[in-house]
Amino acid sequence: MSTPSSLYVADPRSKARRRSESRFRLMGLGAVGLAVAALVFLLSSVLGNGLGAFRQGVITLDMTLDAAIIAPKGTDPEALQKVTTIAYKRLLDRELAQDLAAKGLSTEGLSDKAIAGLLSQEAPAVLRRMVLADPALIGQPIRFEALANGRVDGFLKGRVTMESAKLDSNISPEQLTLATVMRDAGMLNLSFNPSFLTAPDASELRPEAAGLGVAILGSAYMMLIVLCISVPLGVAASIYLEEFAPQNRLTDLIEVNISNLAAVPSIVFGILGLAIFINFAGLPQSAPIVGGLVLTLMTLPTIIISTRAALKAVPPSIRDAALGVGASKMQAIFHHVLPLAMPGILTGTIIGLAQALGETAPLLLIGMVAFVRDYPAAPPEGFFDPASALPVQVYNWTTRADPAFMERASGAIIVLLLFLIVMNAIAILLRRRFERRW
Amino acid sequence: MSPGLLILIILCTGIAGLVLGRRRALLRSESSGQRLHSLPMAYGQSVFLFATVPALLLVAVWLLLQPVFLEGRAAGMIPTSDIPAGSGIALLLDEARRIANGLPATAATLPSVIAAAQALNEGYESARLSLSIAALALALGGAIWAFLRIKPEARARNLVEQFILAMLMGASLIAILTTFAIVASLIFETVHFFQVYEARDFFLSLTWSPRFGGGSQLGLWPLLWGTLYISFIALLFAVPVGLMAAIYLSEYAGPRMRAVAKPLIEILAGIPTIVYGLFALITVGPLLRDYLAQPMGLGDSSSSVLTAGLVMGIMLIPFVSSLSDDIINAVPQSLRDGSYGLGATRSETIRQVVLPAALPGVVGAVLLAASRAIGETMIVVMGAGAAAKLDLNPFEAMTTITVKIVSQLTGDTEFASPETLVAFALGLTLFIFTLGLNILALVIVRKYREQYE
Amino acid sequence: MKDMRIAERTVDSQTSKMIARGVQVHYGTTHALKDVDVDILDKTVTAFIGPSGCGKSTFLRCLNRMNDTVASARVTGRIELDGEDIYDRRVDPVQLRARVGMVFQKPNPFPKSIYDNVAYGPRIHGLARGKAELDEIVEKSLRKAAIWNEVKDRLNAPGTGLSGGQQQRLCIARAIATSPEVLLMDEPCSALDPIATAQVEELIDELRGQFSVVIVTHSMQQAARVSQRTAFFHLGNLVEYGETGQIFTNPTDPRTESYITGRIG
Repeated sequence: MSTPSSLYVADPRSKARRRSESRFRLMGLGAVGLAVAALVFLLSSVLGNGLGAFRQGVITLDMTLDAAIIAPKGTDPEALQKVTTIAYKRLLDRELAQDLAAKGLSTEGLSDKAIAGLLSQEAPAVLRRMVLADPALIGQPIRFEALANGRVDGFLKGRVTMESAKLDSNISPEQLTLATVMRDAGMLNLSFNPSFLTAPDASELRPEAAGLGVAILGSAYMMLIVLCISVPLGVAASIYLEEFAPQNRLTDLIEVNISNLAAVPSIVFGILGLAIFINFAGLPQSAPIVGGLVLTLMTLPTIIISTRAALKAVPPSIRDAALGVGASKMQAIFHHVLPLAMPGILTGTIIGLAQALGETAPLLLIGMVAFVRDYPAAPPEGFFDPASALPVQVYNWTTRADPAFMERASGAIIVLLLFLIVMNAIAILLRRRFERRW
Repeated sequence: MSPGLLILIILCTGIAGLVLGRRRALLRSESSGQRLHSLPMAYGQSVFLFATVPALLLVAVWLLLQPVFLEGRAAGMIPTSDIPAGSGIALLLDEARRIANGLPATAATLPSVIAAAQALNEGYESARLSLSIAALALALGGAIWAFLRIKPEARARNLVEQFILAMLMGASLIAILTTFAIVASLIFETVHFFQVYEARDFFLSLTWSPRFGGGSQLGLWPLLWGTLYISFIALLFAVPVGLMAAIYLSEYAGPRMRAVAKPLIEILAGIPTIVYGLFALITVGPLLRDYLAQPMGLGDSSSSVLTAGLVMGIMLIPFVSSLSDDIINAVPQSLRDGSYGLGATRSETIRQVVLPAALPGVVGAVLLAASRAIGETMIVVMGAGAAAKLDLNPFEAMTTITVKIVSQLTGDTEFASPETLVAFALGLTLFIFTLGLNILALVIVRKYREQYE
Repeated sequence: MKDMRIAERTVDSQTSKMIARGVQVHYGTTHALKDVDVDILDKTVTAFIGPSGCGKSTFLRCLNRMNDTVASARVTGRIELDGEDIYDRRVDPVQLRARVGMVFQKPNPFPKSIYDNVAYGPRIHGLARGKAELDEIVEKSLRKAAIWNEVKDRLNAPGTGLSGGQQQRLCIARAIATSPEVLLMDEPCSALDPIATAQVEELIDELRGQFSVVIVTHSMQQAARVSQRTAFFHLGNLVEYGETGQIFTNPTDPRTESYITGRIG
């Protein structure tokens, strides 16, 4: 190198180095791109699969609620209670056949049972609930939007095809031909499906009726428990550790414990819940109280860590100022430090809750995966009733055979993600709004 | 009286004490002409605390412990001859509990079980009564004691603050208590497991085949292999991608690119694992099967080691990249300057100066990620399959420790059987593994940080 | 000041290694350096002095484009090395820095062995064809930096384990291992004790035989001891530039005089 070459001309070695530089840079860009692409792929796959759950195939029937069938013994509530869904099913089947005939739609080659098979088995139950809620409807002509069978619904959404129907014992191509005719006649269409958010789970054979009502309620109950227990406990523990704890072995032990608990696999917390809360303390299985307690223990480290950070961010001068006017240490903390740390604590709490909301594994172990159709009662009794939870409901649906449940599961994920987005957005807003630089 | 009502009454006692205590402090100060040491409210607060806290603690502990005592007694009433062969007493106790809760007994119910159920019922009745009496007595006693101590010269504020400090400390002990509860529950049931199943077989057997009729083979190795294999693939994907992404974003990217890409990658960290599980199940699994495994003739299972590993890798990207980001930023700028000053390119500086300097930190981050991968449950439950085998083909379905914990504890087998109890031994194994990795990682990272502080 | 510049331009361009004309530097909205003209002579020690924040380090970092690594920095004007504009679009800063080396204020050995620290530059620039040649470069550089005798028995020990003065000499060895034509030193002695400072100063004097040295210093005594030419910076302006003896004994600008006599600083 004793003969310096011109700066303007790159020697071969520099060229090679520059190439390797841009290769490295490209690799980095590729890694970022890959990560972002994975996110996009993940979200689009869930959205693509799940949006269908919010629309449901319904058959619109103009019908008369024939008292002879559904109220043979009069319309007083007790007598009506005794009429089962079988009667309603008969009524619906008959009305469907009549409607088809009235519209002049050909049902050639189809048995009555096959025509009735286009309706969901849940439809009579829906109609029955409607009548019980308002007995005055009996004898009146109404327009009823009956749930279509899951396969018909799938046909409308493209999941079920003529080819797949040939191999399917639950639906035949002839039925689908009729469904096509009905769709063209405006009798059968996809409409917005609010009951996906409110209805309880449904059995294996009725994916079209399955909803998230119980799961949302169960998740809400658990979040309430987590909020009520973990925030006071976590804030109290943080105040002690950050402001009062002496430097000794016990404090060290507590700190090590907290950081380790934050990294313990969630499923271990499930084992803890099963062994301590259910087997030892005798709390009921599948109950939000147990799930809430387990999630509380999981969330505590998150809340403690963020609360301590928030307390630490309050400058010592504030404490000194309070102590300087004769406040006790406790007063200085509760009157001055804690209010200033509140936004940080709230942000950490919301993020902890969001984590807890998406947690699945521990809830499987404490029996929340059970099939629950009854809404839990209002709290506090409801905390002890069996319930499901949003993420567990997703898992539950994925274990079922009918592919229609996959759509439901993806739809439930969309609901779960919406909740998470809202929670995180609140956390970000709080941070922006109250962020303070000292 | 129901626990809810009891708690309400205790709280009311406390509030009454609060009001009365405050009044008493004011009155006594007026009558004696002595100035109060603390604010009047502090005297009321002391009464409130002494009335409510001990009583509420009693209620909590009592409710937690009473089933243990009562069921122990009920269990003693069922003679060993009534226990069906090959099963434990837990099943019968379950039945007794159900009957005690009001479900009708069936014709097959043994008389001793019915007797135990009655004993349970009576036990709960009498326990509830004695709890009510004890808790109310404690609340009133505490209230009266604190009330009588109210004097103008009493240091009520100090007393209240001492009390609150004790409560704060108690709250921080929850962390220790939780760890203790985890370890205790794992060890307790694992010991049970090793009483009914040979420990040697668990640790040395290469087969996992639980059977309902007994004679199960519950070897740890196939599960451990699946766990490590999947975690390895996940890390193989996540570490290079996460590390390179962190390097790019901290050393190359402009502020605008960073402002967009960083939050996007962090979103991946906020997505619940169930979402990843579903992604593996309905998208990645079928994709890998249709486009890789089947054309190459390597298998036709959509759940596979590769599916779970890849999706878990995606989950770990933000974890690795944010840890690496911190670590790379901890390398002092002076080292980078030193390298640039000698005419090194950016990539030479990163590869030969920054990364070697950050190596311990990166190793720590990888260990933390490995611990995450080993403990991850939903992705493997939904993406890896359930077949326990020792195989090398990444397109085969395999299973992991966490999958088997879930399946053994959510099945219908009886609780005291080895097939169920093995889950606790698996849980303990998992706990020790992850704990060891975490501690090791924390030690390494801490040492690393001290180096540059 | 105008007069001074005219005097400056009469310097024989044959001996000018680097020429700076009208150099301005902005950090974001701060105008850190205003219109600086300086000629760095070959095989000479040039000292930049001035109070903190006067722009002397900023200017130094322009000379090998280290300011490129600061995203907010913007450099205008013209700086030439052997008659070639170093801010030309065709110039690779990496190649430039191989010829214009740099030693920093705080010793910054890489967390590698002493040997690898010195061998780093030759390796990335491909200066050695084999292990033997590399060994030779390392030894020569360490000898030139006057640290060979202290470290020759522990070349594989980490460079971070040396004392402060040794670390700084190691960094100098590392810089001269790439055989630069100009060596920039940014307050190389500010983190060192007086004995180590004396060693480094002695070293600088020896290095002058092979290449130009530009040193930024806080200490006027140091500038007087080691340099042949001195530039005085104040508030981003180059106030005065000339023979060191002349600057210290007979400054033309009143600001220079105030600084030297200790009235501003």
